[in-house]
Amino acid sequence: MTDQELFTQVGIREEKASAAAVKSKRSLPIFSIAVLVLIILGCLLADVIATKDPAYLDLMNYTKAPNGEFLFGTDTLGRDIFSCIWHGGRVSLFIGFFATLISTTIAVVYGSISGISSDWVDTAMMRVTEIFLSVPGLLVILFIQAILGDATVVSLSVVIGITSWYSIAKVIRTEVRQIRKSEYVIASQCMGGSFLHVLWHHLAPNFISAIMFMVVMNVRSAIASESTLSFMGMGLPLDVISWGSMLSLSERALMTKAWWIILIPGFFLVVLLVCLTNIGNWLRQTANRKESNL
Amino acid sequence: MTIKRSRAAYYGKKLLIFLVSVILLSMTVFVISRLTPTDPLQAYYGERTEKMSVEEKEWARNKLGLNDPIPTQYIRWAQNALKGEFGISYKYKQDVVQVIAKRMNNTLILGGIGFVLTFAGSLLLGILCAWFEDSWLDKLLCKLGTIVSCIPEFWFSLVLILIFCVQLKWLPSSGAYSVGKADDLMDRIIHLILPMIVVIIEHLWYYAYMIRNKILEEVRADYVLLCKSKGLSKRQIMFRHCLRNILPTYISLMAISVPHIIGGTYIVETVFSYPGIGTLSYESARYADYNMLMILCMMTGITVIFFNIIGQIINERIDPRVKANEVVETSEVSEG
Amino acid sequence: MDNAIVTVKNLTHRFRLSKKTVIKAVDDISFTIQKGEIFGLVGESGSGKSTVARCIMNIYQPTAGEILFHDVNTCDKTAFRQNRKLLQTARQLIFQDSASSLNQRMKVADIIAEPMKINHITPPRGSYREEAAFQLRYVGMDENYLDKYPSEMSGGQRQRVAIARALSMEPELLVADEPIASLDVSIQAQIVNLFKHLQKEHGFSILFIAHDLAMVEYLCDRIGVMYRGKLVELAETAELFAHPLHPYTQMLLSAIPYPDPIRERNRPRMNTEDMIFDTEGTFREIRPNHFVLTKEAAL
Repeated sequence: MTDQELFTQVGIREEKASAAAVKSKRSLPIFSIAVLVLIILGCLLADVIATKDPAYLDLMNYTKAPNGEFLFGTDTLGRDIFSCIWHGGRVSLFIGFFATLISTTIAVVYGSISGISSDWVDTAMMRVTEIFLSVPGLLVILFIQAILGDATVVSLSVVIGITSWYSIAKVIRTEVRQIRKSEYVIASQCMGGSFLHVLWHHLAPNFISAIMFMVVMNVRSAIASESTLSFMGMGLPLDVISWGSMLSLSERALMTKAWWIILIPGFFLVVLLVCLTNIGNWLRQTANRKESNL
Repeated sequence: MTIKRSRAAYYGKKLLIFLVSVILLSMTVFVISRLTPTDPLQAYYGERTEKMSVEEKEWARNKLGLNDPIPTQYIRWAQNALKGEFGISYKYKQDVVQVIAKRMNNTLILGGIGFVLTFAGSLLLGILCAWFEDSWLDKLLCKLGTIVSCIPEFWFSLVLILIFCVQLKWLPSSGAYSVGKADDLMDRIIHLILPMIVVIIEHLWYYAYMIRNKILEEVRADYVLLCKSKGLSKRQIMFRHCLRNILPTYISLMAISVPHIIGGTYIVETVFSYPGIGTLSYESARYADYNMLMILCMMTGITVIFFNIIGQIINERIDPRVKANEVVETSEVSEG
Repeated sequence: MDNAIVTVKNLTHRFRLSKKTVIKAVDDISFTIQKGEIFGLVGESGSGKSTVARCIMNIYQPTAGEILFHDVNTCDKTAFRQNRKLLQTARQLIFQDSASSLNQRMKVADIIAEPMKINHITPPRGSYREEAAFQLRYVGMDENYLDKYPSEMSGGQRQRVAIARALSMEPELLVADEPIASLDVSIQAQIVNLFKHLQKEHGFSILFIAHDLAMVEYLCDRIGVMYRGKLVELAETAELFAHPLHPYTQMLLSAIPYPDPIRERNRPRMNTEDMIFDTEGTFREIRPNHFVLTKEAAL
C-alpha cells in the first residue's frame, strides 16, 4: 500500500479542491474591472458619445420608447436618455468618489486619533460615534442639507461624506490600537519619531490594506445614496442630471408605463454597483490572505 | 456574594451608559434640529405663513415658545418629556403620541414580520449554501445574492411596482389598505406583499452570507474531523455541533440589527406610500415639526442604543474573551 | 564612579491592572552602568527586568525614583524635552522579538535608515542606502538583504538588522531587552559574539537583559540579579559566580547546566518551583563591590 492510499483510507483532506477554491477566490475580477472601466470611459467621453444635448427638452418627443433616433428613448421632459446616461454618470461617479474622499479623510483622522489616545478619550470618542449612529441616517442627511442650503453636486457629496465615515473610522481605530503597542512602533517612538511619522510610516501601511475594501464599498454606497436621495427629492434637482435625478422622474413614468425611464438608468446604476462590490470583495479577500491561510 | 455584587455593578454600568447616551442623543437632535434654517411656522400654519405679517409671526413664535434660548427650550422639553408629555405636532395639531400610535402598528407589522422572515430565511439560505459549498447552487446563490444586495431599495420597489402593479395589475401599488377596508385582513396582506418583499430581499443576503461564511469557518475546525472519525453523519455534525456554536453570535448580531430592519423601512414606506413611522419622520424633519421629530428620533435612537447594549451583553456573556481582551487592551501588562 | 553613564536611583514602577490590583513590577532598585561596560540583568520571567529597561528608555514613566543619563534626569519632563535629541540618539533599544520590532511592511534599507531620517542626520556615506549597506556589513550581513522584507529572513538575521538600526545612530548606550531569548542556541552564540565584538570597536555601554546565565557570564562585566521586582544581588561577573551570596542567586547558578555529562548528572538539584525567597532587607556592600539584599549585617 502506498502512502497516498494509506492517507486516502484514513481520510486526508482534499488539498486539490481547496487550492482551486483559493485560486478562484484570489483571481482578479477582470470582468467587473472591464465593465467599470467601460462605464468610466463612457462618462469621461460623454461629449463624444452622446447623440443629443442631454439638457435639451424636446417637447415634441417626450416619453418616447427607445427607437432609432433616441437609442434609450426620452424621459417625461423630452430629454434623450442615452445622452443623459453618460453625462449623468459623470455626476454620479464624481459624487461617489468625492464623498468617499471626504469620508475616508475624516475616518483616518478620527480613527487614528481615537486609536492613539488614552483609553478614556478613546471610549468617549467611540461613544460619540455610536450616538451619531443611532440617529437615523436619512434624518441626519436632511438636517445637514437644510443647513447647507440647496443641494449641489459638491454639497451633496459633503453630506454623504460626513455621514458615512463611522465604519471605516472604527476599523482604523481597532487596527491602530493593535499596532500601537507593537514593538516597532515603540522603537520608532524611542528614536524620536513624532506622531505624524509613526502614523504615516508605521500605522497607515498597516491599516490601508484593511480599509481598502471598505473604501471601495464606500464609493458604492455613496453612489447608491446619491440616487436614493435624489429620487426622494432630497438630493439633486431635476436640472442637474445624474442617475439618481433621472430616476426621480419614475413616479410620473409609472403612470404612462414608460418602463425605459425606470429600467435603463437603474440598470446602469446596478451594474456599476455590482462591479464595485465585486472589486471590493476581491480586495477584502486579498487583504485577508495572510490571516486565513487557506 | 461578590459575584452577585459585581454582576449588579456590571448591569448598573450598562444602564448608566444607556442613560447617558440617551440624554446626549436627545441634546444632539434637539440642538441640530433647531440649527436648521427651516421655519417651523410653515409646519404649523401651512401656506398661511406667507401671508402673515412680521408681528403675527413673532406672536406665533412666542406662543410656541420658539423665541427662548435653546437651552431653556431643551430643559422645558425634557421636563415635559419626563412627565410623559411630548407636546403637540405642529402639522397635525394633535398630541404627537396619538399621531404616532396610529401609524406605529403599520411599521411594526411591516418591520417586525420582515425581521422574523429575514432571520429565518437567512439562516436557511446560509445553511443551504454551506451544505452545498462550492457546488453550482452555492455559486449561483452567491452571485445572485451579491447582485440583489447591490440593488437600491427604491429602484427595486419601482421595478416591482412596474411589473406587478402596472403591467400585470395583480397587486395594489400604495397604501396599507384600500379605502374603507381597514379591518379586512386579506386586503391588508395584499398591500403588504410588495413592501415586505423589498424589506426582506434587501437584508436577506447580508445575513445569509455571514451565516454561510461562519459555518464554513466552523466546518474547518478540527473537532469536526473528530466527530467525523467518530462516525457522526454530516447532518448530525452540522446541526448538533456547528450550528450550535455559531448561533449565539448570530443571535447577538440579530439583536443589534433589530432597529436597522424595523426602523429602516422609510424608503420602502415612501415609495409605496405606506402610512408608517418612516414617512412621518421624513415629513417631520422636512417641515421642522420639532416635537414630532424629537419623539421619533428618541424612539429610534433608544431602540438602537438599547439593542446595541443587549448585543454587547450577549456577546460578553457567551464569549468572555471579548471582555478579557478589553482588559488586556486597557492595561499595560509587562513581561520580564 | 564618575564614569557612570546611567544612574538608577530608587526606581519603582507599579502597574495598575484594575482599580484594586496594583502590581509592583520594579521595587526600589538602584544601580549604575559605567561607560564602556556591559551590564547584565538576570532574573526569571516577571521579575521586572524589561520594566527597568523600558523605564530607562522613557517608554514607561517610573512611579518613583529617578534615572540619570549622564547628568540628565530623564524622568523629569522638562529636562527630557530639553535634551530630547541627545537622549533619542544616544540611547538605543533592541527588543526580544525581532519579528515584531521590525515593521513587516518596510524593507531592510528603510528600517535601518529610519532613525537617521527621523533625526534628520545627513548620512556620512552619501545616501541613506549606502549608510544602511555599511551598517548591514558591519553586523555581518550581505548587501543583498537591503531589499528584503523582515518576513523573508531568519530570526538571527532580523536581530542583526535590529542591531544595525540601533548602531546607525552611534549610541552611547545600547539597551538590549532579551535580544537572544527567541533565537536558536547556535544563533544566540553568534549574536552574543557580535555584541562583544561591536562593544570592543565602539566602546559603548550595554544593558544586557537575559535569563541565560551562561551567556551573561561570557558577555557581561557586571551582573545584577533581579527577583520579584527587587535587585537582590549585584557584583562583578567573576565575583558573583565565585561567591553567590543571596540564596536566589545560588539557586540560579545551581541551575546552569554543565557541558560535562558526568558532572551534570551528579549535580545536586534544588526544587526550584516551591522556593520563595525573602525580599526584605537592605542593599549592603558585603564584599568589595559586591552588593546583596539582606537582613543581616554580614553573611
